[in-house]
This record gives sequence, C-alpha cells and structure tokens, in this order.
Amino acid sequence: MADELSAVVVDDHPAVRAGVAYWLSSGTPPIRVVAGGEDVRSAWLGEGATADVVILDLHLGGPTPVLGDLRRLVEAGRRVVVYSMRADDDIALQCLELGALCYLTKAEGAEHLVQATRAAAEGRPYTPPSLAGALAGDRSDHRPALSAREVEVLVEWFQSESKDFVAQRLGISLSTVNSHLERIRVKYALIGREAPTKAALVARAIQDGLIGVDDL
Amino acid sequence: MIDQRVGARSWAGPVLSRGRDEGGRGDDSREAERHVFAGVRLILLGVTAVLQASLGFGALLTYPHHPAARVTLAVLVSVTLLCAVWVVRREPLPRVVVVGGVVAVMAASAVATAVLPSYAHFGPAHWSWGQIGWSLLLLLLDRVPALLAAQAAHIVLGVGQWLLAGTPDRAAVGNVGVVVLSVTSLQLGALVMTRFMLRNAAQAVEVAAERERAATRAALAEQWEQDLRAGFAGQLGSTLPLLADLADGVLDPRDDDTRRRCALAATQLRRLFAENDDVPDPLVHEVTACVHVAERRGVAVSLAVSGAPVPVPTDVRRELTGPLVEALSAARERARVSLLRTEGEVRVAVVSDAEVEVGTARGRVEVEGGTYGRHTRMEARWRTS
Repeated sequence: MADELSAVVVDDHPAVRAGVAYWLSSGTPPIRVVAGGEDVRSAWLGEGATADVVILDLHLGGPTPVLGDLRRLVEAGRRVVVYSMRADDDIALQCLELGALCYLTKAEGAEHLVQATRAAAEGRPYTPPSLAGALAGDRSDHRPALSAREVEVLVEWFQSESKDFVAQRLGISLSTVNSHLERIRVKYALIGREAPTKAALVARAIQDGLIGVDDL
Repeated sequence: MIDQRVGARSWAGPVLSRGRDEGGRGDDSREAERHVFAGVRLILLGVTAVLQASLGFGALLTYPHHPAARVTLAVLVSVTLLCAVWVVRREPLPRVVVVGGVVAVMAASAVATAVLPSYAHFGPAHWSWGQIGWSLLLLLLDRVPALLAAQAAHIVLGVGQWLLAGTPDRAAVGNVGVVVLSVTSLQLGALVMTRFMLRNAAQAVEVAAERERAATRAALAEQWEQDLRAGFAGQLGSTLPLLADLADGVLDPRDDDTRRRCALAATQLRRLFAENDDVPDPLVHEVTACVHVAERRGVAVSLAVSGAPVPVPTDVRRELTGPLVEALSAARERARVSLLRTEGEVRVAVVSDAEVEVGTARGRVEVEGGTYGRHTRMEARWRTS
C-alpha cells in the first residue's frame, strides 16, 4: 500500500466526495481516498493529515472562498488541487499565487481531476484548459513574460481541450506541449509570495532540465 | 472562465447633445429679441416723426420763438432721420450713432429750454421737452439702464433750468409736475410694453424650440426603429428563402442538407434576437445564445470564457459571431466554444466534429478555419487596439 497514492477530499457535498473518490479509485493506477469531510479539518486530522494530495473545494458552505485554509495547507507543505464550482479567472490566479498546484472547475471532467491529482502527488503542476484560459487572459501588471510559443500553447489548449489537437496544430510533440505548460507554471511559481510547493515545483523543473538556473 | 463585469449600455436611442441644443436656443431667443426691438423701433420712429412734424413745426408756427428753437428742431429731425437709416432696415443702431444722438438731443434740449422765458417752461411753447424723451427712447430702446439715466438727466436738467429761470409759484409747480409725470409715464409705458413683448417672444421661442426638439426626437426614434427593422430584414440571411422553399415543397425536411440549413437559420435568428438585449456583457450573451441553439439540437457544447470583458461594437460582434454561427450549426455531436479576451485581442473559437469548414476572411475581424484530424477548427479574432 505504501506506493499507492492517497488523497483527502474536502467538499461540503457528500455526492461530490463520493464521485471524486470513485473517479480517483477507478484510474490506473488507482488513487485511494483516505479521508473526506465537509470542512478542512479532515485534511489535518487522522489519515487525512498524511494524504499525498488535498482536493479542496473553495466554497465550503459559505459565500467566501476558503483562501485562508488553502494558504495554511500550502504553508504546511501540502499539495493542493483546488476543485471549485466557480469559473473565475481572478480566483484561479489567486490560488496559483498562494501555491495551489492546480485549479480545476467542476465543469471539467474526471480525466482532468485524475491527472491533476496524480501530478500534484509528484509535486508537479497541472494546467487544465480553463486555467490555461485564465493564464492567457491574465492582464495583471506582475504577470510573468511568456514567449509567443507559450502563449500559443495556452490559447490552443484552452480553445480545444485536446493536447493531441494542440500538438497537431502547432506541429510539436505531445511532450513538448506538456513541457511548455509546465514551464509556464514555473514562471508563475517564480512570481508573488513564496510557498513550499512553488519552490519544490521550480526545483523539480530545474532537475528535469525544463529550465536552467540562469532563467531564475 | 466566465467573468461578467457590470457595464451599462443604453438603447434609449440617440438624443441631441445638450450643449448644441442650448446654443441653438440662445441664438433663437437673440433673434426674437432683435425682431421685437426692430418692430418697436419702427413704431417709435413713426411716433417721433409725427410728433416732430405736428407738435414741433406746429409750435414754431403758432408761438413766437427764439431762432435757437429752429436749430433744436433741425437737430431733432436730423437725429430721427439718421436713426431711420438703420431702423427701416430693421438693424440695431450703431454705438456711435446712439452716443452722438443722445449728446446732440440733450444739448439741443438745453439750448431750446435756455432761450425760453420762465413762464413758458413746460408750456405749449416748450414743445422740445416732450420730444426729447421720444428721441431718447428711439435711441436707447435696447439699453435700458442708459435710457433711464438719460431720462433722469433730462428731467433734472429741465426742472433745474426752470428753477434757475425764476422762483415758481405753487400753481406753476403743480402744472409742471403734471406735465413731467404724464410725458414721462407715457414714454416709460412704451418701454415697459417693449419688455413685455420681449418676455413673450422669449417664451414663444422656448415653446417653439421644445416642440422642435420633440419633433426631432420623434423623427430620430422613428429612423432608429426603421434602421433596426431594415437591419433585421438584412440579417435574416438565408431564413426567408429557406422558409419559402420549405413551404413550396422544394426542400425535403428529412434531407441532411436541409437540416443543416435550418440549424444555421435558427442559430442566426437566435443570435439576432440576442443582439438587442440590454446585458452587461453582450458578446458573451450572443455567444451563449448560439450555444443554446446547438444544445437544443443535441450537440454537447462546452463553453469557456476567459479574460476581463472589453467593449466590442455591435458590428464587430456580428462579424465575430457570424463564423461561430456557421461552425456551430455544422457541429454534429460535440463542440468546444471559447471566448478569450487578452490584452490586445478578442478571440472566438470553435473546435468541433463538423465536416464543413468555415472559410477564411481578412479584414477587421480575421477568420481562420481548418481541419485537424477528427477536429474542425474555426477562429475569429479582433484586435482591440
């Protein structure tokens, strides 16, 4: 069981928790949901405290997003996938800034959730199409400078929801599409507040040769 | 990611700019004022001329007089004739003429009064006194403060000269009081009447202007409605011939191509109806309307909107959503519709399983289409800057 990935699901709807647990357990290899609950305590207590990934709903019974809880989890070195009903660019960018490894909207399906959780367990970022749109439409002053190719990849991924399509359109390989997306996330990890997950993400990218030390 | 910001759009129709409107009204009331002054001056010219001919000449013939009285009459008549040059042309008197005229008639009055014996003051032989008032009125009709000052000076001068000529008894004071009061009040009455006419004219101008504005607004609203109707008719596009062909039995509703044409017409109509809705983000509204039609046909559409809203003119929206309508109506089972607003661009894209490609276009809105494996892609881009 030691090499099996584990996750804790924090969502105020039992049906969502059950659905997420089913999706994750039916992937290959399966991801085990070790705990779940309607508030963030389940991620701090019992088995939830040691789970590899926290899947966090941003709106837990209240109108205000639980950004404070997200910050505390990230500061404790937890790998968080934000799973929200709200498709809001600003909130998504704010979650990345705080150190979430992924921001996923509930309109996006099982495939993205499984991939995001698996990536997060390894400390890698995952960029679903809606998040790619938020990054492409980012007009804030402190946004990182992206290359023309990186912007193309973001936009095509947002527009098509298919990496095969992006690869075919731009005449590049699937792994190149992925490394472009990862490099973009590294650039975002380098701006704003510091977080253990962001530092780990950058360190990993250097290790993988995705970016050089000179790029920092 | 959908992020709608509350904006405002007014469909109240075009309204005249306030500044221009008020400027126009100012011109109109000045014109009305000139008109009233010209008319009243013409009447005063006649009154003055008749009085000078009858009372002036008559008095010279009837009463023994000093030669200076003839000079006075000559001056008064000259001033009246000079004024006539502008008055008959309905033009305002030049400042030089006014100042010269006032000085001349006041001086002539002083001279005529000075040569009179004291008993004749304010009597029939002192015809010049009343005449001066009319001349002043003719000269200073549109300069009320100056006119009142000149009249006051004229009265003070006349009464002063009379008092200097000898000590009057009580009966004489009474007579003089009556003469001064009656002559002055008649002349001031004419002035008050002119002010009344001016006020009425200003009100009439105001009413006429309001009526004209209302008429303009009505005409503009009608024009706007006509344009809207014409626009609708123009954009019905393929709908009318399609309906005609279906009604005539030329087209078979079971035919795939007919179905595709119907889907296109339905999406076009739905987009057209959405175009005039008053919503915070019209582009998202129109795109959503197109998506709804496709969903009703059973196409699974995933819609994503990202980037903060930017204002997009109606015709640009039309050009952006036109290709979207075509691409969506050709989609069979699945379609991904996205709207992205970046710093310099608005991009509407459809990736679907359609077999029909949307043609390319170059212009304000660039349209690009292509087939990549199982996917058909269409993108319409508009540069905001």
